[in-house]
Amino acid sequence: MKITSLTFAPLATLLLLMPGSAQGHHGWTEFDEKAEVTVEGTVTDFHYVNPHCVVEFEVKDETGHVRKWQGEFSNPGVLSRRGWNAASLEAGDKLTITGHPARNNVLALHVFRIRSSNGDLKLDLRE
Amino acid sequence: MTATFRRRAAQFAPRHGLVHGLAGSLVLCTLLVAQDSRQTAPATEREEGIPVTDPLVIAKCGTCHVRDERGNMQRISWARTTPESWQEVLKQMILLNGLSLTPPEARSIVKYLSSSHGLAPEEAGPVMYDVERRIHEETNIPTESLQETCTKCHSFARALSWRRSIEDWKQFADSHAARYKIRSTGEAVEFLSKAAPLHTPEWDAWNSRSVTKDLAGRWLVTASVPGHGNYYGEMQMDRAGDDEYDTRVNLTSVRDGSPVQRSGRSAVFGGYAWRGRSKGTGPASSPDDLANEAREVLLMAPDQSTATGRWFWGQYQEFEFNVKLRRASSDPTLIGVDRSSLKTGSIATRIRLTGDHFPDQVAPADLDLGPGVTVRGVVSHSPSEIVAEVDVAADARLGKHDVAFRRSVLPDAMAIYDRIDYIKVTPDSIVSAFGDRTHPKGYQQFEAIGYQRGADGKAHTADDVALGPVNVTWSVQVFHEVEGSSSDLVGTMSPAGLFTPATDNPNINFDTWVIATATGEKDQKDKPLVGKSYMVVTIPTYTINGRQYVRELGRWVDDGPASGKP
Repeated sequence: MKITSLTFAPLATLLLLMPGSAQGHHGWTEFDEKAEVTVEGTVTDFHYVNPHCVVEFEVKDETGHVRKWQGEFSNPGVLSRRGWNAASLEAGDKLTITGHPARNNVLALHVFRIRSSNGDLKLDLRE
Repeated sequence: MTATFRRRAAQFAPRHGLVHGLAGSLVLCTLLVAQDSRQTAPATEREEGIPVTDPLVIAKCGTCHVRDERGNMQRISWARTTPESWQEVLKQMILLNGLSLTPPEARSIVKYLSSSHGLAPEEAGPVMYDVERRIHEETNIPTESLQETCTKCHSFARALSWRRSIEDWKQFADSHAARYKIRSTGEAVEFLSKAAPLHTPEWDAWNSRSVTKDLAGRWLVTASVPGHGNYYGEMQMDRAGDDEYDTRVNLTSVRDGSPVQRSGRSAVFGGYAWRGRSKGTGPASSPDDLANEAREVLLMAPDQSTATGRWFWGQYQEFEFNVKLRRASSDPTLIGVDRSSLKTGSIATRIRLTGDHFPDQVAPADLDLGPGVTVRGVVSHSPSEIVAEVDVAADARLGKHDVAFRRSVLPDAMAIYDRIDYIKVTPDSIVSAFGDRTHPKGYQQFEAIGYQRGADGKAHTADDVALGPVNVTWSVQVFHEVEGSSSDLVGTMSPAGLFTPATDNPNINFDTWVIATATGEKDQKDKPLVGKSYMVVTIPTYTINGRQYVRELGRWVDDGPASGKP
């Protein structure tokens, strides 16, 4: 369950809720920002929306089972200034995605880097 | 700009006035600058002002706004804006400066300023979403610093709703910066001076026109209501005063034939800015009932033959009619078709065309749906309706086709498609809200629209073709929850796609997917098409550092000290 406590959340989180827009409605406290995970997967859907863009993708685990993952990152306003649009990721795209894993072990990432299957860098939000 | 600014604007701006206050922020600044201006010499204006000729404005505003020998009144003559913004200016003057006006005087002043110091229709059009209270993704903000300066507390459209001289933008920005601790306004002044100058060709052309004043008569109405489909009908407008009209509307649902009857009153400012209120002739039985009282904001075309806009209501203005008016004539006029798409290879599909003054004799040749679409025959017809059967060739041109009855044409009214490639849930992202003791719930109506990939063969690109609503089942899934988990804690979806937040306010936010699963349409793997919308279900208010924040449309605004509030 993804929830954001408003009354008791740290100030840094609440500042994201300050007047502005629905963007940044929550922080990233559900993700372990000290850990990094890189997975290779195939895009099933891409949502270029506020408050966060979301890429849904499938990853084969060690046993060969296909698992559904969800990557959340940035918003269209920021991504558009980096040349992105709603068609920047398409179903079927094979990607290498790096991000911070969810703390509760669900298959979700706070994404900060995306590479194409050939290694080309598509996005690095740390740059 | 600080939260205090917004708080004050929110404090003084009634949320349900006849002409709702949208311009709190900028207007308040205008007011504050005006306050300052009483104590200082008028700034040197290099641009020609717009003289004020209305005796009431001169009498009521001249005490503070010095009028020169040319008739220019300080500040007023170097600014233009919407009726909402001028109304807000008056409210602030009354509340803070002790201006005394009777309601008729206030209406008269707003009317004069909205006409003589208003916007041209071409200037008003791009910012209509703000006065129509639509949640709108603003993609026209050129830099991040401008976004920071101008949109932390209000929409960018609110800034662009004003036209000012360079000097007036400077004065405005200086006052804004000083009062609200904005670090740098130079870029904003430079941008706004160019993007929103006092003098424009559009304004000069509009201001010199002689606008037809009488809009009374019969108008044809097309209305799209999310979750309910399209409605067609007519409106009778009767004069109720100078530029004011009583309205009576009769609509019929294309989907099920149910009637909607509404009546109201509207004012038309400057010959094109329609502002009004209407409500159903019977009582409203639910929040989404189409009989609810609604505000009406429409933009009339410069030739006053058509008008488009929004009638809306709800705690967050989330319910709506999207409306188009067309002045009725004696000519046969097509106003709508009951279907928005036809599949290639389909045979003898019945379509129903709604219109006005259809003649006694109607032949298949009178109808034209473009290449590849053949009208097999006319099944029935009346002065207001034609039922026809059509065939669509297997190789018919894909994409939008015009639909025509003789010389009456509905552009892009019918989409021809070979398959539905994907479903898009609209809105694709949205905020809904729990209620509390003082804030009613914020509902949300969703629709699932089928799309064809368009000429480029790629889905989710600009040339994709909308095919109309698709039959779906609805569900809500909380982020990171196991698929199929109950979302009752968050709220419920009706079969028609209306989300109702849970009655209990859990005091937390939820990120959710609103999922539409097609009941008939399948993808190339023979799986039902699925579309999703990102919905955040929020609490209505929250408190931080002793201040309370409330949601307004898609943003949070500072509502002042939390102490003493429920």
